[in-house]
Amino acid sequence: MELGGLGWIFAVNLIVWTGLFVYLLRLGRRIAQLESTSGKPEENER
Amino acid sequence: MNASMKRALPYALWLGMALCIWGAFFYAPLAAAFIGQSSRILFFHVPLAWTAFIAFFTAAFWSAVYLWGGRKARHDRAAAAAVELGFLFGVLATITGSLWARIMWNAFWNWDPRQTSIVLVLLFYGAYLALRSAVADREARARFSAVYALIGVVVTPFFFFIVPRITESLHPEPVINADRHLDMEARMFQVLLGSFFTYTALFLWMHNLRSRLMALAERAHAD
Amino acid sequence: MSSATSSWLASAVAVFAKDWRCELRSRYALHAIALFAVTTLVVASSSLGPLGADKSQAVTVLPALLWLILLFAAAAGLPRAFVHEEEAHTSAALRLAAPPSALFAGKLAYGASLLLGLEALIAPLYLALMSLDVPSPGLFAATLLAGGYGLAAGSSLIAALASQARGRSTLFSVLAFPVLLPLLLLAIELTRNAVAGQPAGVALPQLLLYDASVTVAGLMLFPFVWNP
Repeated sequence: MELGGLGWIFAVNLIVWTGLFVYLLRLGRRIAQLESTSGKPEENER
Repeated sequence: MNASMKRALPYALWLGMALCIWGAFFYAPLAAAFIGQSSRILFFHVPLAWTAFIAFFTAAFWSAVYLWGGRKARHDRAAAAAVELGFLFGVLATITGSLWARIMWNAFWNWDPRQTSIVLVLLFYGAYLALRSAVADREARARFSAVYALIGVVVTPFFFFIVPRITESLHPEPVINADRHLDMEARMFQVLLGSFFTYTALFLWMHNLRSRLMALAERAHAD
Repeated sequence: MSSATSSWLASAVAVFAKDWRCELRSRYALHAIALFAVTTLVVASSSLGPLGADKSQAVTVLPALLWLILLFAAAAGLPRAFVHEEEAHTSAALRLAAPPSALFAGKLAYGASLLLGLEALIAPLYLALMSLDVPSPGLFAATLLAGGYGLAAGSSLIAALASQARGRSTLFSVLAFPVLLPLLLLAIELTRNAVAGQPAGVALPQLLLYDASVTVAGLMLFPFVWNP
């Protein structure tokens, strides 16, 4: 597929977004893990 | 909303954003008054700015809830997280806006009404974060930050009325604000609207993560 | 109810009177802000010359310069109203002696009177040194009054916050600037109109609204700053 100049910028954007997305996803998983292993009663958390 | 729907949400957000990016480059037409492809940056710049403003009012809301709703730590964290994210989105909005201004008007900065408003909001964010870092005691920090956020929300509306008037008098030919001139073709509007929702959802997700991270950090500190 | 109001008022007046009594004894703030303002004025005037002679410069530059001088004078003199309570360890006694909103009202009145007194000194000097005519003296005076009050009101609230946060003066400036910026823009715009002989327009009601909003916000929020 022949990508014009616009196509390259689009691809870069998509890659940046996907990178951010994966980071946030993994952060979320790590947080959930820490929350469940912290062992403290979650009185003032939802 | 059951558990598996909840797990699918982030992926839906990925798809939504990917669609917005695609829409910005391939689906939406170019705006008539703009130089070359530069109007495409608005599909990023406008939602970023919008989200930065939402974050501001979100912070004020949680600050009020903190002060009058029982001084719960999670409300303070919600306010602080909103400010941090608002600052991030605001800086990104300012950068994208300046890049576009450089293309359109050959100058990175014009003190155009919108630019000035975002600077004020960023100043408030910066001051809020400076206040937080200056106060060590957790309870006092939460209380003072909440008060400051509410002062901010009382004062900023004045800015939105004053600024357009003042910058008009300084610039003989008013700098044309692109949003007003944008001939909103249907496709452009669709991408913009979709972007508003998507960026707001992204903000909410990041806000949730940040608040929880702050809670964990506080708990770790307390040990 | 009216006895509660009158005792509130009595507390506020007592705080106001106390601050002035202390101030007149030491004259620290009076000297500081007067000296500061006059020095700045002399520097501006000697380096810029009689800028008011050139009409276009007069309208563009001089109003902004005046309010900058007033802003920095306020930042130099007003935070002390709260900081010296912390330094002298009298704040605990104050908490017992007066309801917080009355305390704030008294401090605000003190700050406003200090600033308005300063304006009475600086404004004529400024007009003279810069050779500035003011075709609309009524508007000019009204702007000094409303703008000076607003400057004091915003500064008092932030001063309270900064003093409780044990902040140095830099924290005060950082916190105050975004809050005072709309006030400054309005005051400068109105001063420009006064100097150019143009009507006040919608800016004057906006300035008054700012004053009212900051006063109300201060009265409501100060108790949260003062008491845990």
